[in-house]
Amino acid sequence: MIKKSLISLGALLVLFPTIAFAEDPSATQLNMGLNALWVMLAGILVLLMQGGFILLEAGSTRMKNAGHVAGKTIFTVGLASLVYWAVGYGFTFGGDASESVNKFIGLGNFFFDPSHAAVDGENYPSSVFFIFQLAFAAVSLSIAWGGFAERAKLSAYLIFTLFFASVIYPVIAHWIWGGGWLAKDGAQDFAGSTVVHLTGAIGALAATILLKPRIGKFNKDGSANEILGHNQVFTALAVLILWVGWFGFNAGSTVAIGDGFFGFVAFNTQLGAAAGAVSALLISWLVNGKADITAMLNGALAGLVAITASCAFVDPWAAVVIGLVAGVLVFFSAKFFEKIKVDDPIFALSVHGAAGVWGTLANGLFATDELSKKVGIGKAGLFEGGGWDQLWVQFESVVVCGAFAFVASFIILWIVKQVIGFRVTEEQEIIGLDLSEHGNYGYPEQMKKAGTSV
Amino acid sequence: MSNPIREKRLLDITGADDLEQLRVIREREQNKLAIQLSASPADEVVESLNELHDALIIQSLKLAENELARLGLGAPPVPYTYVLYGSGGRYEQTMHSDQDSGLVYEDAADQADEERFRTYFSQLAETVVRYLIGLGYPPCEGNVIASNPEWCLSLAEWKKKLDGWFADPSWENVRYLLIAADGRPVAGSLELAGKLQDHFFNDLLSHPVIARRMMENTLRHKVLVGVFGQLLTERYGEDAGSLDIKYGAYIPMVNAFRLLAVQAGIHETSTLKRIEALRQANLLTAEDADNAAEAFSFFLKMRMLTTVSDEEGQLIGTGKIPPEQLTKEMTAPLKKALKAGKKIQLRVQRELQRRFGGR
Repeated sequence: MIKKSLISLGALLVLFPTIAFAEDPSATQLNMGLNALWVMLAGILVLLMQGGFILLEAGSTRMKNAGHVAGKTIFTVGLASLVYWAVGYGFTFGGDASESVNKFIGLGNFFFDPSHAAVDGENYPSSVFFIFQLAFAAVSLSIAWGGFAERAKLSAYLIFTLFFASVIYPVIAHWIWGGGWLAKDGAQDFAGSTVVHLTGAIGALAATILLKPRIGKFNKDGSANEILGHNQVFTALAVLILWVGWFGFNAGSTVAIGDGFFGFVAFNTQLGAAAGAVSALLISWLVNGKADITAMLNGALAGLVAITASCAFVDPWAAVVIGLVAGVLVFFSAKFFEKIKVDDPIFALSVHGAAGVWGTLANGLFATDELSKKVGIGKAGLFEGGGWDQLWVQFESVVVCGAFAFVASFIILWIVKQVIGFRVTEEQEIIGLDLSEHGNYGYPEQMKKAGTSV
Repeated sequence: MSNPIREKRLLDITGADDLEQLRVIREREQNKLAIQLSASPADEVVESLNELHDALIIQSLKLAENELARLGLGAPPVPYTYVLYGSGGRYEQTMHSDQDSGLVYEDAADQADEERFRTYFSQLAETVVRYLIGLGYPPCEGNVIASNPEWCLSLAEWKKKLDGWFADPSWENVRYLLIAADGRPVAGSLELAGKLQDHFFNDLLSHPVIARRMMENTLRHKVLVGVFGQLLTERYGEDAGSLDIKYGAYIPMVNAFRLLAVQAGIHETSTLKRIEALRQANLLTAEDADNAAEAFSFFLKMRMLTTVSDEEGQLIGTGKIPPEQLTKEMTAPLKKALKAGKKIQLRVQRELQRRFGGR
């Protein structure tokens, strides 16, 4: 019965389309609608990247922590959404601050209450923009978890989320994207190599320094052991999900359909990721004598992270170069962190940190005059006739944002460590966080068979 | 053999009438050789060391025969040969090599004798293997050892076994054939050993495909030097930073020259002698042979420097050079030798691939 009426309704709509619309939409309305749809779709893609992070972190760690790793991602996305809604969004984009205060932080729009529809003159409804920005904040937070993996207390996750989503991330996002002082200087960070990736990676760095390496990662003589993740297929799938999500991340950052510029951004993104995957596999093959899957997967991600800042500012050949360098860089960076005995289970420091820095600086080298003008931020880079200016601004933004993120994260986590403790006990770490923090294994059948010593 | 020190040592060993004495001699002599290693050329030390091992094994066999006689089993009923495989077969044992061995005895005329011989020789093999464990030679992990009934057979049984391996060149059987190719009689009837070796080479001629299977079986051990000439050391774990000289240099060279030698019908089992024979047969140029011999001698010396781990009282070489020993002075010649080794490995691979095609 329902089916029949739907079919007849559909037929009527085809025959008399005017029945459905009382009035033809204006060109402005259509434009707004298309933009809104694109930004919403991009926001959904970026939110879906959390699925990538779940698989990436779970696949790269051991079975005994899998349920915890997966579950805490969803929990912290939930918590971060509330915090970002209450204050984080206001600190980033609020427009009520005086000019001098606005250089450093935005004010207004706390407990954000968007209009029900796009207001006249808006390119899209502010609710859609909020969803899109929130998804970025959540990605940055999930990157930071790489430094917590397999040994932090659940309560530490909770407290860090409160501060990260309310202050740390919003302040940096405001500086570069919210009209703050770095934006005024012309810092080019199209989709967030610095804002999202470097900030998250620096949070991870502060955490991993305070937590110290996982039990069994380093031997007494300083040599490292390999703690293999429990599922490489998860890790590879994670990279694919992140890769696809990245089209929302980068191309979506045009926040407009406009003249179709988002297509070019997506195009550069694909080239950067591809080059990263290829160069990382080759360099691992050349240096270690074996083609390393983990290195290759990290290379793809590093290519994506690096191209994030530059995807709208550089020519396609430069996107390939940026990706190739990122793939090589991430391989040596991972070796470097292991050498200085920093335990980085998910390679967050190398993939998001080192590649994030490189991607941001790359703008200072490869940004073209034409594209800088098109985007309307900064100017051409060193190799494109712009001189050293842009490179300096890029350098400045990396150093300042990195320093702020580090100091802020370190202070918060240091206090957590002093007051309630940051790391689980040795026994809890050995039996695994699934059991110690949540009371159940993520893989009950496998873990019971193997006993509790895994 | 005119070396007076070695002759004295040999006399000591043949004069020893219990295991304890042999053990003391082994320790004393190995300590002396370890000191010599820094001053003398490696191949001399290796030769002297292998002569020592051979003498100890021969004397242990004699003691085992005596023990069996004392138990009322009498003397060996027919001639037999005690064969060494692995590094022993190649005359390339280190201070801490394990036992890889087999035993072959003359065929019996009837079934009753067959049973009697089997009983005697299995007991002999078991006794001598036990004695050698007592002397500090751990048994072979892969169970290639005379006390395993599969490796203690009459000549006819051995021939049948070889034929079977040749007829069905599965991965495991090819591995056995590779082991058999390094077999060297250490004690007993040389004639018997010769007959077995002839049979092996005749079988090989009628199964040319075996060479390719042998190559495929040994390809996975790569020479541990990267495209930039860098050493490919262990990256993780207890041995992080050390170089696996055994599987990353020595074994690939052994495999390459075994393959070339066996192909050419060369009966030598030691790698350096195989290289020399290949040169004589014009299968290697003088230059290649010199480079190969130099590189291989260097690996032999490096192998003597590898870490030793203590497993339940038995010292076992890990085959890895610890990072402390990989000094600048050491790595330069090491890299040179590894590059030469890699070149040779590639050449052998290419040549066989050309002859038999890829897979």
